[in-house]
Amino acid sequence: MKTWALVVDTWREALASFTLLGFLVVSILFQLVLVFALNLDIVDGGLAAVSLFGKAMPMHGRTPGIQEVVETGQATFAGMLYAMGVFLAVFATGSQVPHLLRRGTVDLYLSRPTSRAGILLSRFLGAVTLVAANFIYLCGGVFLIISLKTGVWNPRFFVATGLILVVFLSFLGFMYLVGVLSASTPLSIMLPYAIFIISMPLAAHDRIAAAMDSRLAANVVQGLYWVLPKSSEIGRDIVSLVLGRGGVSIQPLVTTVAFGAVCLVAAVVLFNRKNV
Amino acid sequence: MEAVNPVIEATALAKEFRHWGRVVRALDGVDLKVGRGEVFGLLGANGAGKTTLMKVLLGLAAPTTGRVRLRGRDPRDTAARRRVGYLPEGHRFPAYLTGRSALWLFGRLAGVTEDDLGSRIPALLDLVGLAGRGDDRLGRYSKGMTQRLGLAAALIDEPDVLFLDEPTDGVDPVGRRHIRDLLLEARGRGTTIFINSHLLSEVERTCDRVCIIHNGRVVREGGIDELTRPGQRYKVRLAGAPAVDLDRLQISGASIASVDGHLEVTVESLEALNALIDRARAERLLIAEVAPLRSNLEDIFIDTVSGEDRGSGRGARGSEQPAPNRPPSPEPRAPREDGR
Repeated sequence: MKTWALVVDTWREALASFTLLGFLVVSILFQLVLVFALNLDIVDGGLAAVSLFGKAMPMHGRTPGIQEVVETGQATFAGMLYAMGVFLAVFATGSQVPHLLRRGTVDLYLSRPTSRAGILLSRFLGAVTLVAANFIYLCGGVFLIISLKTGVWNPRFFVATGLILVVFLSFLGFMYLVGVLSASTPLSIMLPYAIFIISMPLAAHDRIAAAMDSRLAANVVQGLYWVLPKSSEIGRDIVSLVLGRGGVSIQPLVTTVAFGAVCLVAAVVLFNRKNV
Repeated sequence: MEAVNPVIEATALAKEFRHWGRVVRALDGVDLKVGRGEVFGLLGANGAGKTTLMKVLLGLAAPTTGRVRLRGRDPRDTAARRRVGYLPEGHRFPAYLTGRSALWLFGRLAGVTEDDLGSRIPALLDLVGLAGRGDDRLGRYSKGMTQRLGLAAALIDEPDVLFLDEPTDGVDPVGRRHIRDLLLEARGRGTTIFINSHLLSEVERTCDRVCIIHNGRVVREGGIDELTRPGQRYKVRLAGAPAVDLDRLQISGASIASVDGHLEVTVESLEALNALIDRARAERLLIAEVAPLRSNLEDIFIDTVSGEDRGSGRGARGSEQPAPNRPPSPEPRAPREDGR
């Protein structure tokens, strides 16, 4: 199984660069805080008191329903994880293709009787398993701790985690394309960040296009909106989903997945043609 | 000599690189055939196109024009690279791997089964002298150790075609001999070996046939024996260190040196040899040895490349030609130590 060998290779690289260890330490710390430092006093299905590290949090005389509290907490966590997690995941995997393409290294891989597409896609799969395992560990742990502490089981939180992973995959596809084209780690990290940030205001593409002086500029804005991932809409959908206030919009999700898929296919095609 | 049923074949091969609008022609009409079980040496100065040629032969780079076949297939076809070992020049294994995990990874990519790797990895580590260092991170390996590991990785799928780009680069003399022995062993098993090396003495000892590439073109090609066959140069050894006026032994083009208590005179033609013998006999000197001298590969290489640079060696391309305008040697040349 050549694919398995390359997935293992990706994990070894992540282990050696302490990416996995760093993520694991942060995740464990966060979970320990939830387990030991966060105390929730639940009375008749409502949250009577909250303390963090032994310090009581102000309740302002309210006794919100525990269901609402859990969903709000999870939605906040999912929203933060969406922004932070994608950034961290891009940072953790940004060097994969540039390291593979290093002079003297790439020959060792490509001279084997393994297709170039197989090598690139297996490394992609390795990165996906790596990030998925980290997400599942962190989110699964948070989900379990909160659910056991409160008795509120909100499976939509898990669906949200899946959505975050899908967005990351889209950016990973783009990162692979940048990596194949440039063989540069800084560019492979910075350009996905730039796309993430640029695509945020494009959620208001109609209003921005209407404010444009020229038709060309308006078309550029509309084009960018349709081509780039829909970071803002998906972020909003994730929060709504966890709060139980709505489902996932299909169009932003499909176009975001399409962006990543097209980038990944382009990366494979270019990698196949690349002289090393 | 031309290979019948070639394992490696290049026909009218050209490769151009474009860099910011500038076109660099790295290979220019290379024709090459290497037969099964042959050890073939690729020689050339820095930038001659050796590594590019090797990469094109392996399918790592596509030719601009021309045709390449590796065991009858396009080398970019994955199946053509089965049981093909490659040791790239200046290779860099990922530093996070250990010797053992590197062999596992590249063995798996070569399609070797887990069971076979279980026995082959320790055997290969032992073979290249890294038995006790297999679990060390590669970041702690010296250059020579990395080179030996590279050779082990190239041998992991028991290849029947082996491409080696500077295999002894950074390796000490003992390691070099070890690598040479491994290659000779591989040749004994019928492995076709394609070597690119600057160490001409190593190439001369290891290869059956060589080609010299210069500015992307094959300028000379032939068997080692053909290229270094005795020409018109002879060495005459006079017994002892006779007290003779050396001027009286001076023949046109001759060089005289004292070696191990004997006088050795090297002459450049059959006529000069006979004239020297006449004079030595006239001086009643004892002639201990008369031997024709072979050129070594270094001489052939330098002569060919210098000739090409002077623009006088164009006719040597692709055929056996006498070396043009050999510069006078400052020292007499000794016969080859292996008796060739």
